[in-house]
Amino acid sequence: MTRLGVFICHCGKNIARTVNIEALREKAATLPHVVLAKDYLYLCSKPGQTMIADDIREHRLDKVLIAACSPRLHGKTFAQTAQRAGLNPYLLDMANIREHCSWVHIDGAEGTEKAFSIIKGGLGRLLYAEPLEPFQSPVTKRVLVIGGGVAGIQATLDIANSGYEVYLVEKSPSLGGHMAQLGETFPTLDCSSCILTPKMVEVSQNEHVHLLSYSEVTRIEGNIGQFQVTVRLRPRYVDETLCTGCGDCVPTCPVVVSNEFDQGLGARKAVYLPFPQAVPAVYTIDWDACLNTDKLIICENCYKDCEAKAINFLMEPQEKMVEVGAVVLATGYELMPVARIGEYGGDEYEDVIDGLQFERMLSASGPTGGVVRRPSDGRIPQNVVFVQCAGSRDPEHGIPYCSKVCCMYTAKHALLYKHAVPDGQVYVFYIDIRAAGKGHEEFVQKVMSEERILYLRGKVSKIFKSGAKLVVWGADTLSGRQVEIEADLVVLAMAVIPSSGSQKLARTLHIASDLSGFFSEAHPKLRPLESNTDGIFLAGAAQFAKDITDTVSQATGAAGKALSLLANDFIKLEPTISEVEEGICRGCGLCVSICPFGAVKMLPSTRTGAMVAGINPILCKGCGLCTAGCLSGAVTLKGSSFKQIFAQLEEMV
Amino acid sequence: MPPVKRKLFNLDQYQVPRGKVQIISERCKGCSLCLEYCPNKVLAWSTDYNFKGYRYPVLEETEEKYCISCRFCEEVCPDFAIYVTTEPELTAKPQSTQRK
Ligand SMILES: Cc1cc2nc3c(=O)[nH]c(=O)nc-3n(C[C@H](O)[C@H](O)[C@H](O)COP(=O)(O)OP(=O)(O)OC[C@H]3O[C@@H](n4cnc5c(N)ncnc54)[C@H](O)[C@@H]3O)c2cc1C
Ligand code: SF4
Ligand code: SF4
Ligand code: SF4
Repeated sequence: MTRLGVFICHCGKNIARTVNIEALREKAATLPHVVLAKDYLYLCSKPGQTMIADDIREHRLDKVLIAACSPRLHGKTFAQTAQRAGLNPYLLDMANIREHCSWVHIDGAEGTEKAFSIIKGGLGRLLYAEPLEPFQSPVTKRVLVIGGGVAGIQATLDIANSGYEVYLVEKSPSLGGHMAQLGETFPTLDCSSCILTPKMVEVSQNEHVHLLSYSEVTRIEGNIGQFQVTVRLRPRYVDETLCTGCGDCVPTCPVVVSNEFDQGLGARKAVYLPFPQAVPAVYTIDWDACLNTDKLIICENCYKDCEAKAINFLMEPQEKMVEVGAVVLATGYELMPVARIGEYGGDEYEDVIDGLQFERMLSASGPTGGVVRRPSDGRIPQNVVFVQCAGSRDPEHGIPYCSKVCCMYTAKHALLYKHAVPDGQVYVFYIDIRAAGKGHEEFVQKVMSEERILYLRGKVSKIFKSGAKLVVWGADTLSGRQVEIEADLVVLAMAVIPSSGSQKLARTLHIASDLSGFFSEAHPKLRPLESNTDGIFLAGAAQFAKDITDTVSQATGAAGKALSLLANDFIKLEPTISEVEEGICRGCGLCVSICPFGAVKMLPSTRTGAMVAGINPILCKGCGLCTAGCLSGAVTLKGSSFKQIFAQLEEMV
Repeated sequence: MPPVKRKLFNLDQYQVPRGKVQIISERCKGCSLCLEYCPNKVLAWSTDYNFKGYRYPVLEETEEKYCISCRFCEEVCPDFAIYVTTEPELTAKPQSTQRK
């Protein structure tokens, strides 16, 4: 005979306000198989849990129903209580009489009646519950890091220095991300590449790191602890193992195009190294720019000049399979294209540039050698207008959020320009200054007090060309006047947006992203470093716009998360997954096409040899789609069997 | 609005090779392959005819500086009627007119 126990929670007044607990308990006590019905103010409290555990033992309860809040909140808490009392945790179930009942009812009588029906249903379901054992899955002690900006670099080093292998996949030819493009960094004005380059070199020299540059992740399968990843290596037409980085291939290459790394302000050849400190220090042929095509190879200038014979025009894309236990996602950001803002010229004017372009001009190794120049005529600008919140905090242009770094880097830009051109005049348009980080407000105040840097509170409504100059129309809301400024150069602090391709990557990884396209964290307060898929962690600007300090902190945190996973040899996986009854399966294969996780395969039956569906327990997420889809009813979702669900429904209607 | 293509600031620091095109007009049969394949479109048709009765490629003096010595013409010519000599001292500032 089953001995059922029912525990009803008051949840302070959350439940007790609308549900008549006393009446509910009395009625519940009369239900079949119920040997004990109790209520308590807070079941999740320590005394509450102790009471449940004591009662399980004392009354020899073999199944327990907790009528309280949602199992999403306290499912784990009570499962542990059951375990402590020696009861299989899958023989304890929860009936949600808070979110599903007391919170949505005003009338006490109705609420109590519904709570009773939820409890009856729960008991019906529990009657057919069977003990389940979590199964163990080994943890592959390797980590995949996607994105080689400062976030990816930091996470990689933290993990590799703990002795674990890391695969670092970077889309572009070199590590470094946007930090490598910056001149000096706020608020301390540290030289960006001076602090980043040593880290990049460390990555390339660490024996635990496998650096896959010019590569992308195209497929990922598996589960926490065991991911199978497919990486596509784009052909760089230069053999990485042979290239010495001498650069002899460059002079005779006849093709000159603009360099992405210089944000289109500088040149490079078709065979190139994006910047001198690039890691790996291996040249790449930009196949779109190279005169050769897949069908026609005629130009051999670089090939002839390469003494190491590293150039290979016949290189093909390669696929590499790697197995890892955890993934750190660090794909960073991009700036919203200036073309999206028509009022500011929509990228029509050469002298309206974005923040990263200005940053390239400030950089000593940039295309102007660190001198600020007008792109149109190369002259040094005397009047420079900076426009903050260009696209940000502007739902009309699709960006409701604050990009977080623009106030700071604009102040930095204004200051560095002033250092270079002391008699130049700077105007900064801002909505308000957000400088909440350590040392940030002090930095902005210092810049604001500089001579010839004028902060104007207001938005810019229009930028247009008049002769060789640009005219900026804006508002100065503090004086209440419209202002018109003649500028030589306008720098737009464009909104920070997720890097292109991150939506596709989110689909590949089965993780969620928010409305703006940044990867979603599992909980905004308590689990900011985890995605909603176990074992996939987030770092840097891929999660949201942030500065280098925050990026590095988050990357170290994500590495810590991955490391604490790797500290286990096995992890426990939920047994609530689907199972096929071979005798009933007729081998139609429908479930194979239904399963979004590729967990079902047709395999010969061990008994009859006929083809039947088999479910890989590591890949199955227990979503139940195949269970519902199978026409023969051959698939059971453990913990939610048909018997359980129908019994629950029968009791409730 | 088409996005501006900005002049590249450090173009001066780059050099591209320059070639000297040699045309043996008598061998030409007017197939036009060299004109088609020249990525910089430096070649043009002659106004007169060779002894076989074909127009053949010519290089206007003003165009000479645009030859980047890629040797596409040399490779594609079926009749060995055109070839390129490179002179190491002949390098040029890059032109931004390169086409694929
Ligand atoms: C104009 C400007 C000035 C700034 N100045 C400062 C400053 O002075 N101080 C400061 O603290 N912060 C500054 N910042 C912010 C700083 O740039 C960021 O905090 C930092 O770069 C974020 O690093 P990240 O690694 O998260 O992203 P990123 O630097 O964007 O790196 C991401 C990397 O991932 C790669 N990637 C993208 N997608 C994929 C993919 N699908 N697969 C593989 N690889 C991929 C990219 O190629 C890139 O290498 C500035 C930002 C701007 C726009
Ligand atoms: S083969 Fe391509 S990359 Fe090499 S020199 Fe010729 S155009 Fe440049
Ligand atoms: S329940 Fe079925 S469909 Fe869902 S993941 Fe598992 S095998 Fe795939
Ligand atoms: S070498 Fe190249 S650029 Fe010069 S003419 Fe021949 S095809 Fe044209």
